[in-house]
Amino acid sequence: MKNVAIVPDDRLGRAIRLQVGGLYAIWFREVKRAVRDRGQLLGGVSRPLLWVLVMGIGLNPYFRGEIYGEVRFVVPYTYLQFIFPAVIALNIMYTSVQSAVSVIWDRQFGFLREVLVSPLPRATILLGKVLGGATVALFHGCLVLMLAQFADLSLSLGDIAWGLLLMALLAFGLTSLGIVIAGHIRSFEGFGVFSNAVILPLYFTSSSVFPLDPSLTGAQTSVIYPEWLVFLVRINPMTYAVDALRGAFIHFHQFEPWMGPAVLVGMVVVFFALALRGFSKA
Amino acid sequence: MTPDPAIQVGAVSKRYGRTVALNDISFDVKRQELFALLGPNGAGKTTLLHILCTILQPDSGTVRIGGLDVIAHPTRGRRDVGVVFQEPSLDDRLTVYENLNFHGLVYGVPRRLRWQRIDEMIELVELTEWREKLVRTLSSGMKRRVEIARALIHDSRILFLDEPTVGLDAQSRERIWQYVGRLRSQRELTVVVTTHYIEEVEACDRVCVIDRGEILAMDTPAALKAAHGQQLLRVVPREDATAAEIIAAYPDTTVRRDAEIIVKSSGDALAEAFLSRYGSRIRRLSVEEPSLESVFLALTGREIRDQAAGARERTLAFGRQGGEHTR
Repeated sequence: MKNVAIVPDDRLGRAIRLQVGGLYAIWFREVKRAVRDRGQLLGGVSRPLLWVLVMGIGLNPYFRGEIYGEVRFVVPYTYLQFIFPAVIALNIMYTSVQSAVSVIWDRQFGFLREVLVSPLPRATILLGKVLGGATVALFHGCLVLMLAQFADLSLSLGDIAWGLLLMALLAFGLTSLGIVIAGHIRSFEGFGVFSNAVILPLYFTSSSVFPLDPSLTGAQTSVIYPEWLVFLVRINPMTYAVDALRGAFIHFHQFEPWMGPAVLVGMVVVFFALALRGFSKA
Repeated sequence: MTPDPAIQVGAVSKRYGRTVALNDISFDVKRQELFALLGPNGAGKTTLLHILCTILQPDSGTVRIGGLDVIAHPTRGRRDVGVVFQEPSLDDRLTVYENLNFHGLVYGVPRRLRWQRIDEMIELVELTEWREKLVRTLSSGMKRRVEIARALIHDSRILFLDEPTVGLDAQSRERIWQYVGRLRSQRELTVVVTTHYIEEVEACDRVCVIDRGEILAMDTPAALKAAHGQQLLRVVPREDATAAEIIAAYPDTTVRRDAEIIVKSSGDALAEAFLSRYGSRIRRLSVEEPSLESVFLALTGREIRDQAAGARERTLAFGRQGGEHTR
């Protein structure tokens, strides 16, 4: 029989072990459940395939105005390249918000109680959950990234590192948002409807599938699109998240380059704070 | 100096809207005691237990566990406490081992000790062969056993069991009590159990009878029986006329829905007098010696009924459905 090491009873060490161990346990559980869920993985693979390969390739010729018979302006990117960063954002958005379903699941099936009676503070529990969901979402973002060669992206290691950091921020912020939403919803069915009602409008008004200005120069914006649409695009935080990813992957910005990362950090802080407020009451 | 009692409950009250769930409840649980909270569904047992394990805040009152005010310091209090909830709370998409390991991690149990405890506990509840199986493949009795094992992975000195045997077959119920007994002999453990199965309470050190948020009596089973127990005659008359006569003759009777009449008896003399008078006109008669059942009847004026646990059933039914959003 093995000897069990006698651990000195130092409070700090115990507290750290509890926090780190607990965080790891909650994070690992989220990841493990996601890995065992084939359906979610299938969605994570098929979504980018449809958006990038079918929609991206299909609409590619229309993007540069070539079909008008005359090239009115020269766009330095293909449509595939243009929507590629947005599809990454879309995949992260879906997975993040869906991962919040596990909060509803845990509440419904009592597992949440097991965690709530543990000595872990609520903030640690929430952080573990968000990190777990964000890890899965980041992974689903990387699934899109593997299609980069179809979009003729040449990425340097620096681009990828910067892009991954932005993706991680986005995943973290959106998972927090998902948990905020889950806090107000009691049933799985309701969540499915609601999450689609949030995800798709956010995606379509984030300047993801069309640029605010077809010539990409910023000169013709209000001429081409009605003001209400431009307004929706401008107030949507996802617009700036997508813009940040475009900056990383195709070096193109519709807005000031600092705005994207700033909005992402803002999303992380605000949504996590909201989630924490809701979770502490749970 | 005598050590603090394991649990001190002082004037705890809790109301939901206008319903009073707990009304000014006070009691102590001694160290290493097997303490039962007995009461029908809706009596406030679960509410009380949730307050004791700090996931519910009382409106007023104090709870001390091992001398520590756990309402003020919930996270510190939780380290000493293991809980088995009435509703299942395992992650059924993880294996037995993964559930136990998760628990050890969130309670900060060091690795070596954690692995050792997991092995010990799985062995204790006789699930060694199921260690790597997903929890969803286990029967409800086995899940219960996993939950008991889980509550003891960390250094819990107090174990709360909320209706640990509800919905289980007789054999599984028996086993669960065996495990609890074995655990108490192995380590210093105070056990607080809620139940509405009266026969399970007989083996407890002390019983607290609770109904409608109030403590009706609290003592050892023997003392309760001596103080409140009564001999009961359970009678099924042949004809309704006889029934009416019995009810008229003995004012303190209870009639059950299945036409059985319960007559409170003061002793063998009364039973004999009853027999000589009605002996030929009754279909069935049983004489019940003073039991906790009769104590409960005397205290609450009704019998404990085994009602279906509605919420639990619904949850289980939903779990069986699965579905795309359920992960």
